[in-house]
Amino acid sequence: MSTDTELTPGRSSLPASQPVIEFRHAGYKLPNGRVLLRDLNLVVQRGETLVLLGRSGAGKSTALKLINRMLEPTDGAVLVDGRSTLEGDPIELRRRIGYVIQEVGLFPHFTVEQNISLVPRLEHWPEERIRARVAELLQLVGLSEAEFLHRYPHQLSGGQRQRVGVARALAADPPMLLMDEPFGALDPLTRAEVQAEFQDLQRRLNKTIVIVTHHVGEALLLGTRIGVIDEGALVGLHTPKDFMEATEPVTAAYIANLRMLEKLEGPG
Amino acid sequence: MMRGAGLRLAVLACVVLAWVIALGSCGTVRHDEIVVGSKNFSEQALLGEIVAQQLEARTHREVTRRFYLAGSYICQQALLAGRVDLYVEYTGTALTAILHDPLEADPAAVYERVRSEYQRRFGLDVLSSLGFNNTFAIVVRGEDARRLHLKTISDAAPFAREWRAGFGYEFMERPDGFKGLAQTYGLSFAETPRILDLGLLYRALLEKQVDIVAGNSTDGLLAARDLTMLVDDKHYFPPYEAVPVVRTDALARFPEMRAALLELAGKINDEEMRRMNYEVDGEHRDIADVAREFLRAKGLE
Amino acid sequence: MNLLEYFARHHREILQATLEHVWLVGIAMLLAVAVGVPLGVLVARRPWLSKPILGGANIAETIPSLALFGFLLPVPWLGDRADRLAIAALALYALLPIIRNTAAGITGVDSAIRNAARGMGMTERQILLQVELPLSFSTILAGIRVATVLTVGIATIAAAIGAGGLGEFIFRGLAMVNNQLILAGAIPAALLALIADFLLGVCERRWQPARS
Repeated sequence: MSTDTELTPGRSSLPASQPVIEFRHAGYKLPNGRVLLRDLNLVVQRGETLVLLGRSGAGKSTALKLINRMLEPTDGAVLVDGRSTLEGDPIELRRRIGYVIQEVGLFPHFTVEQNISLVPRLEHWPEERIRARVAELLQLVGLSEAEFLHRYPHQLSGGQRQRVGVARALAADPPMLLMDEPFGALDPLTRAEVQAEFQDLQRRLNKTIVIVTHHVGEALLLGTRIGVIDEGALVGLHTPKDFMEATEPVTAAYIANLRMLEKLEGPG
Repeated sequence: MMRGAGLRLAVLACVVLAWVIALGSCGTVRHDEIVVGSKNFSEQALLGEIVAQQLEARTHREVTRRFYLAGSYICQQALLAGRVDLYVEYTGTALTAILHDPLEADPAAVYERVRSEYQRRFGLDVLSSLGFNNTFAIVVRGEDARRLHLKTISDAAPFAREWRAGFGYEFMERPDGFKGLAQTYGLSFAETPRILDLGLLYRALLEKQVDIVAGNSTDGLLAARDLTMLVDDKHYFPPYEAVPVVRTDALARFPEMRAALLELAGKINDEEMRRMNYEVDGEHRDIADVAREFLRAKGLE
Repeated sequence: MNLLEYFARHHREILQATLEHVWLVGIAMLLAVAVGVPLGVLVARRPWLSKPILGGANIAETIPSLALFGFLLPVPWLGDRADRLAIAALALYALLPIIRNTAAGITGVDSAIRNAARGMGMTERQILLQVELPLSFSTILAGIRVATVLTVGIATIAAAIGAGGLGEFIFRGLAMVNNQLILAGAIPAALLALIADFLLGVCERRWQPARS
């Protein structure tokens, strides 16, 4: 497994400093009193890929869901493009943000074409434009149009479904993309494949991306910055290079884990 | 699939629409035939058959029989819904069971009330009585009647103390039944009246298990056995004259119908109805045959 | 005259009664679906409503049909005409399976699909119409199928209160002790139920969602 912490060409190490997403003392508490997220202060710059890394139940998915108002902060505020998520129409907010979840959630009664074109159709794009866009996206995610356009989700493999999910999220060309453990349901080989393709995608598109994962290798591979979340709080925020030198205990644990796996696999 | 879902919805809507339209046309009766109804006992079936055959002869239309409907309410509903064009009802029953009006004894008043209310409330036409009055009959053995010179119920009242009475369940319960009768005539029996099945009343009377019963005045057995019906001299019992009740639109659709039905007015008296009932219930003759003979005898065939 | 001859002789009356029967069942089912499906959606959206709504429908279902007809008789407007009354009672009977199946169908939709739909910016209405209802269509149809077969059967009892239909043949036949008349009502009624069951079963299978 690659532990290459060098910045791959094409990924900017200094993103243009335009905050696209901002967490200001953001917190989320369940009705029964349990605190999932506490006092999160974080800024996501335009064009960067921020990875939220943490164990299950650490609160990273919660943070992600605050961005597209799937959840509303019980404390503090979350701002997207300078406006609080609580202002304005949640529907309009979500249409501007691409959303990919682990189970993908493709509509089983829609073909690949219909799944991908969901948001454009909701936005009443003209048919021509939709058709062109779908073709473009299928090519982008590496699926043959002729073969896959009219297939149904149950006729696709896990990896293919994942790719359709990404295509669907990108359909209306949203400036932001949120991904919640997007490759979690894939087997390691497929996962590696898809990750590599996604890196390629990152280069070509110029989107602000927030990815949630518990997989440290993936974080290092895909992120321009990595935010470590533990027990509802942000305990560390590093570039991949700095990450490897961090001394914070949770982050250090991840590094140790990584090094151990490296040893098992041998060099290279 | 937005398109697909829309298409499906459209197909569904068309199917539903077609369904509703088809159903809408189900409710109407076919216009080329007359439907005659009747309640579910032989006298009613007989009357229905007589009416049906008369209409067939005079109007030359198809007549469909829908007999043995389970009671006045069912017949009334069928009439209102147009499933039936006419049936023969009894004025007293129409008054109490359909119109829910209080009882009256005067036949003319009852008839007029029924006729006008049916027209006003339901838009139904009530035509002239067929001639008989199927009211409750207080019956004693013929031999007792002759021995004690009994003609009316008042004649019989003094003897009530020595007698056992037999009544049907309904007669005991109805407001126009036993209670009122006992009050009106001052009847007091030695024991409480026995409640008997309607079909067994006359047998029990003849076998002297009871001495006085309440039957129907047109019961077949009254004509065939040595039984005497006592006259209701105080006019306690309301009249139950048999009248054809017809849908106004049927009379309009079949102009010859009214005349044909009026031809039957007053043609059947109590005795004749009893006779026909006996032929059907007692002799088990075919209703259609009995009806045909009647019409022939009256010169109506 | 054997049974077939009897049917041939009286085919017009039998057809007329069958149409009356179909009319009663048809209108009742339309009402039941128009009321039941939205109620089912409501129950799916707000689970706390399931107790009162399903409970109410269950009570209507438990009351013996003849008793329900009897209860509704004194109701003004409804009780004046037997067919109105019968249709109202039949519709009440048909509600429970429809509400239950609609609610089950909608809650049975994979939550990942709902999440994805919501996250992409579909409104509640769009999710209901484009995702949840199409995916539960087969289940809802199953409920409609059960309700229809039930209604065809109970509609025969409606003749007892004067609503017409095939039950009238049965009751008349009983009063006249005439087997042919009874069968003239019973056989078409049974056939109607079987045909409805078959046709709706075909639709149900055809619209079964693809395995995900």
